Amino acid sequence: MKDQIQPPKWATKLLRWYCAPHLLNELEGDLHELFAQRLHAYGLHEACRRYVLDVFSLMRPFALKKQPEKYPKTAFYQIAMIRNYLKIAFRNLAKHKMFSLINIMGLSAGMTACFLIALYVHFELTYDAFNTKADRIYRVSTDVQTSSETLRYSISPWAMASNMKNEFPEIETYARVQKDEMLFRTGDLKFKEEDALLADSTLFQVFDFRLLKGDPRTALTAPFRIVLTETAARKYFGSTDPMGQTLLLGDKGEPAQVTGIMQDPPANSQIRGDIFVSMSTYTAHQDKNIEREWGSFGAIAYVLLKPGADPVALEKKFPAFLQNHAGKMMAEQQMQIHMLLEPLRNVYLHSTRPADESGNVNNVYVFAAVALFIMLIACINFVNLTTARSVERAREVGVRKAVGAGKSTLARQFLAESTLLCLLAFFISIILSAALIPIFNELAGKVVSAGIIYELPFVATLLAAALLIGLLSGIYPAFVLSSFEPVRVLKGRFTTSLKGIMLRKGLVTVQFTISITMIIATIVVYTQLDFMRGYDLGFSKDQTLVIQGGTDRERDAFEESIASLAGVKSATASSAVPGGWNPQAFSKIENKSGEMQAGNMDVYRVDYDFIPQYGLQVVAGRGFSKLFGTDSIQSLIINEAAARVLGYASPGEAVGKRFDQWGRQGTIIGVVKDFHFRSLQETIKPLTFRTLDFWNGKLLSVQIEGKNVKQTLSAIENRWKTIHPDQPFSYYFLDEFYDRQYRTDERFEALFVNFATLAIFISCLGLLGLASYSTVQRTKEIGVRKVMGASAVNIVALLSWDFLLLVGIAFAIAAPVAWFVMNRWLDGFAYKTSIHFWIFVAAALLAAFVALATISFQTIRAAMMNPVKSLRSE
Amino acid sequence: MRGTYLGEFEELVLLAVAILAGQAYGAAITNEIEHQMQRSVNLGAVHAALARLEEKGLLTSRLGGATAERGGRSKRFFTVTMAGTQALDHIREIRNRMWIAIPKPA
Repeated sequence: MKDQIQPPKWATKLLRWYCAPHLLNELEGDLHELFAQRLHAYGLHEACRRYVLDVFSLMRPFALKKQPEKYPKTAFYQIAMIRNYLKIAFRNLAKHKMFSLINIMGLSAGMTACFLIALYVHFELTYDAFNTKADRIYRVSTDVQTSSETLRYSISPWAMASNMKNEFPEIETYARVQKDEMLFRTGDLKFKEEDALLADSTLFQVFDFRLLKGDPRTALTAPFRIVLTETAARKYFGSTDPMGQTLLLGDKGEPAQVTGIMQDPPANSQIRGDIFVSMSTYTAHQDKNIEREWGSFGAIAYVLLKPGADPVALEKKFPAFLQNHAGKMMAEQQMQIHMLLEPLRNVYLHSTRPADESGNVNNVYVFAAVALFIMLIACINFVNLTTARSVERAREVGVRKAVGAGKSTLARQFLAESTLLCLLAFFISIILSAALIPIFNELAGKVVSAGIIYELPFVATLLAAALLIGLLSGIYPAFVLSSFEPVRVLKGRFTTSLKGIMLRKGLVTVQFTISITMIIATIVVYTQLDFMRGYDLGFSKDQTLVIQGGTDRERDAFEESIASLAGVKSATASSAVPGGWNPQAFSKIENKSGEMQAGNMDVYRVDYDFIPQYGLQVVAGRGFSKLFGTDSIQSLIINEAAARVLGYASPGEAVGKRFDQWGRQGTIIGVVKDFHFRSLQETIKPLTFRTLDFWNGKLLSVQIEGKNVKQTLSAIENRWKTIHPDQPFSYYFLDEFYDRQYRTDERFEALFVNFATLAIFISCLGLLGLASYSTVQRTKEIGVRKVMGASAVNIVALLSWDFLLLVGIAFAIAAPVAWFVMNRWLDGFAYKTSIHFWIFVAAALLAAFVALATISFQTIRAAMMNPVKSLRSE
Repeated sequence: MRGTYLGEFEELVLLAVAILAGQAYGAAITNEIEHQMQRSVNLGAVHAALARLEEKGLLTSRLGGATAERGGRSKRFFTVTMAGTQALDHIREIRNRMWIAIPKPA
């Protein structure tokens, strides 16, 4: 038995690896012989030891590889062969123009979609990431709990930030930002800036905004200092140097000095504005006591923690801190404030608190999934078309094998070919993307990318992805093609295997499943938006113009001056309009059990004729009327939702009950029917109406006739200019303003429609390729059938049936998936349409129709063909 | 005398080849030296010496008979050339001369 004991294999392998081939034979022989002898003489262990020792001792210059081999193996890369591969690849592309076109078109369309979506997803995921200290910056948000509800604010009490910095050593500094609409004037230029911000002087310490001119430490310290972005500087001062110039600020026209020029903030920054005004302008000048107020909320506070500080531990100290400073106030007003820290990078995508702009992390995921699916569809096309075409290349494979090509050589050839195709698609998709970026920006509603030259890392990634896709989707075809047996192939009797056909059909089914899911999703999104646009909101928003009309007598004068204009039906002033912001007031109202129930309630301050002009229905009591002198200070109107919160079963019960709100006490005089003063994503909240004070009611709603809107508008503008020559005329249409709330959803819809179309387009390309292939395969069968008397219609039906079946299976899979996903999406809306049965029918019909239309070209041609032609070739 | 200079181990290998007279191949030579010297010798050292000796023209080799013991692999037989014999003689002559030159103790 000892004869069969072998020396350590690894040592033998080592020897074979390093040893020159011409010496190997004899050396191995010697080693073996010695091993056998030593095995006898000293035993296994010693024999092995000596064997290994000998192998190592042979590692000497004389034994190492140096002599060229007598019969060299084929090199991995041979220039001549590579040239040949390329030539054949290009010839193949040129010979089968249709296939090549379908393949490259599908791939480049998929890559373009992927590229654009990747840009978008990256943009959303890197919101605020430009701040180098982003991981230490937290937004301090507050929850305010009253007896009726919890309000989730992104703003915080004015007195909070400075006290936090004094008491918590963990906090390096803080910066508060408050968006405000302000009037700016210089010379003849006057603008109502929507994007003006009040900001603390520490803004530049916390965030990475770059000052091009001016000192970041002092730019915003004193009142009436302002920093302009480059864009704003150009707008106000053109090419002259804005540093040290003055702008007149606000209605009073107080002079403010430009102390800095800032680079425009990145598009994905949550703090964005054109003009930054020093916070002290407000806190030290306009409202001197505000910094001591705990009950008054405003400004978003960001704190910068010291490196290594633990935000969780810090948060635990907040309740005691609040109790210490605001305990008395909270007890008086029957409310409880909670503070919490939100990491800066999470605010945009994850926080549901109010914000100018907020992203939705689910949308980001949806788009990423869509991109992957589109790419998957494109890859499936590629695999399908390549394997389908394999029959035509079978002969080439046979010949190559016959003259000595190995399996791996062939696999390499086909992989190279598919990679080449992907590279072509890559170049086309880069050109397409470059052209589409502006359109995509518009569609997404933000400047996701300034142009392709700024996205070189993405281009490089896409190139890598293209190569990878080429390899991955080339593996299967390369494997199939290279495993053909030359004898069978060259004999000419060759058909693709059943397995291959099943695989291709399976892949087409996957494609159509994805496409049908996207069709259903698109229809559901569309019906939901249509539902919201057409929903009876409970007030009339048509033909209503909202003008920023100033307050009190000024406004009344203007209102009077336009009342006589032709085309103006009526006008009314208020502090808020539906779809816009309105304040909340701490209110106490007598509830069903006779107690004064406290809570924060939405407030509309309106003129006497607001309720009738907006078509709001008074369901109990009466509306405001000038006939009752008490209405100006002692009356309140509530909506049905408020009556329900107070416990009244019918609105009529609430009339005559006591209230105490913002310095007014009196009785409820009426209840209006619920109307949607916020978007349909929210349920209707309790709302209170009170008459205007002299200092508010800046919004003038003007109802105009549907005809000659332009003339009416210019007539109103003329009146404005004669009364307020120094102020800009700014207005908007109420319906547009209200629908602006659905902008995010509309964008979602637009993007979805586009990408769903793309998905089905690419799927159809694949179907087209497959159909043309399968009709070619069945030419002879069709010929025989026709000879036997089948009509063209029979043949078309026969050929179409196969594909319709696939679409049917795809639909059966897609329908429940789409139903589930879209139900989840609809859950985000308080008022939603249901997913109707017709949506599925429509999607199924659409998919079937598109599939039939796609293949009809091929099937009809095949059915019309003269059978003589197809049968003659036998 | 460069080129024909023999190291000690080379001399041993050359002698072993001569002793084995036509039946000298790697494993046999290794065994022969181990047997004569009563110490273990590395196959690598032997082959390195053989290669050098062949380069110097003191040995020639031919491929020949395989045995089952070797897993069917052929042997390379070494024989001492004329130059090799001369080199051995030369060394022996020098040694003898030197031995004689040692003064005999009384």
